[in-house]
Amino acid sequence: MASVTLADLTKEYGDLTAVDGLDLDVDDGELLCLLGPSGCGKSTTLRMLGGLETPTDGDVYIGDERVTDEPPYERDTSMVFQSWALFPHKSVLENVAFGLKMDGVDEAERNERARDVLEVVEMSEFVDADPEDLSGGQKQRVALARSLAIEPDVLLLDEPLSNLDKRLREQMQLELRNIHDEVETTFVHVTHDQNEAFTLADSIAIMNDGDVEQVGEPREVYDDPVSLFVEEFLGDTNLVDARVQSHIDGGVVAATEFDEEIEVPTPGGHVEAGDPLTISFRPEELDVSRVAADGGQSADPAEAGDVTTALEGTVTDVLYRGSSVRFYVQIGETSVFFEQSVGDKTDFEVDDSVVVSWDPEDLLVFSEGERLGRGGT
Amino acid sequence: MGALADESMFAWFGKRIKSKDSTSVFLLAPLAAFELVFFVVPFLILVRMSLNSQPETGFYETGWTLAAYGDILGSNLYQQMILFSFKLGVIATVVAVVLALFYAYAAYRAEGLTKSILLFSIILPLLTTLVVKTYAWRPLLAPNGVLNDFLLSLELIGSRIQFAPSLFGTVVGQVYIVFPYAVLAIYSVLSTLDWDVVEAARDLGASRPRSFFEVVLPEVLPGVAVATVVSFAWSVGAYAAPSQLGTGSQTTFAMEIGNLMLTNFNWPVGAAFAILMLAAMLAASLAVIRLLTGSIGGVQDV
Repeated sequence: MASVTLADLTKEYGDLTAVDGLDLDVDDGELLCLLGPSGCGKSTTLRMLGGLETPTDGDVYIGDERVTDEPPYERDTSMVFQSWALFPHKSVLENVAFGLKMDGVDEAERNERARDVLEVVEMSEFVDADPEDLSGGQKQRVALARSLAIEPDVLLLDEPLSNLDKRLREQMQLELRNIHDEVETTFVHVTHDQNEAFTLADSIAIMNDGDVEQVGEPREVYDDPVSLFVEEFLGDTNLVDARVQSHIDGGVVAATEFDEEIEVPTPGGHVEAGDPLTISFRPEELDVSRVAADGGQSADPAEAGDVTTALEGTVTDVLYRGSSVRFYVQIGETSVFFEQSVGDKTDFEVDDSVVVSWDPEDLLVFSEGERLGRGGT
Repeated sequence: MGALADESMFAWFGKRIKSKDSTSVFLLAPLAAFELVFFVVPFLILVRMSLNSQPETGFYETGWTLAAYGDILGSNLYQQMILFSFKLGVIATVVAVVLALFYAYAAYRAEGLTKSILLFSIILPLLTTLVVKTYAWRPLLAPNGVLNDFLLSLELIGSRIQFAPSLFGTVVGQVYIVFPYAVLAIYSVLSTLDWDVVEAARDLGASRPRSFFEVVLPEVLPGVAVATVVSFAWSVGAYAAPSQLGTGSQTTFAMEIGNLMLTNFNWPVGAAFAILMLAAMLAASLAVIRLLTGSIGGVQDV
């Protein structure tokens, strides 16, 4: 068990900068997910943490010890690889006992300890099996057991679940969580899957372009994204381009792709008339109702002059996505989507006229990729 | 009509090829015919020849006798030659396979241009004929050759050394011949090695040498077995290297068989010698494979 500190970590491959001055702290016993798209440098960061890559610049601390130049076999970290990397010429037991063997633990003891760890991952019956005969999920468990057997200070997981099918992956996420609670080791888990990060993590670090964009608890990161990148990456949302027209109390009026002007709160953010904005309308924050036949809608569009929190549109597409249905609504030049659970009473059909409304306080507003008035609402 | 007949003939042939049970027969037929004409038949002729009597004049006298075999096994000179052949085989194989293992590993780890250069320089010598490249070692290793001049100019040696013709020169020449094949055999297996596995070993506390012996070596053992068999079989039967880079005491049985066949015109003894050595090398090769892979068929697992 140990905390981890990465200070100004940089890795360059020739002209390519994979990791660019990254700073990150991981608390002792925490399960941190490094989340980001392919090529954002998250795996490289993990490999520098494990000693499999040497940083071009910056430092790695495990606990209070600077380990930047220590080779992997001198570090108390252990990596679970995406390919699992089990030793093909060794039995499951020999694989798991390997690290202890390298530490000079005698055979009887290391086999006993390896059996104990295999029990934790529920692989006791495969002790003598050849790794090549195991299924993906079983290999994954063995790889995890092999890394846990040496009781590392920090366990590094490099997308170990990405080669599993969906059901197994979700099951393993829960088990990984339980194992983390059981062993109380610091885990650093790399993934590109937001759902996996939200399921597993005590804390999520979202990476983009070789640096960390935002670190925080899953809820906090989701509710309060610092940038457009984080907002886009964490989930499906409706992004609408807009342009500032004029200032009002606590916000601005912006012209949008809806062909309507709307009121946008921008607490603490400084924007000038004419500045471009990107507004995120999260589908779960949208309230949608059918335009009544007699036109007697309570939330009548354009009722407050040119500034509104409700707009009328037309349903253009209905996508059935298993347990939920996604509806696309054309409003002006753009379209927004929202979702309903199958079985909800209000069903909309293509060509229905609907009213989409929202609470302005729920909008997330971005200017030049940065969130406006973050923490203000 | 003719076109129709042709078509049906092709169709018949096509059906035969497509039907599962006979596919392999048709595919193997050309190879089998080649083997029969150029290997099985000559080998049977060789066996028959070894059973003939030795002549006073001419090549052989027709007969049925094991006298040729007896002469070889009873001859002190021939025993020395066989012993030397196997000694050369073992030395050249050990040197070639150990060097090839390092070379293949370096090529496996190298990237981009370095990798291409390392692999290309292994293929390059294969484009030259064996005699030419063996002969090329003579001006390099001779007492008044390049290597001596170089070492003298550096004052590393006091007087000229005869690197060739000698046992040293013979081994160098023979290693040079088999080295590319050993590298390719090992590299082909090594290239399937998942580097993550080596990183996993280091991550779990294995030092660099330890991870090589614990993880890399077991993985490439089938390749090492093939490299060993190829190097050994070729080196025991060496002809070009000892004849061009060795002295009279570096005479292998292959050279002696050449003498018996082409100079002494004693075909029965030459044939018997060839068959005895073939059997010995077959046994030795199978033993090597067994030793390195644990089973005779193990190499097929590659």
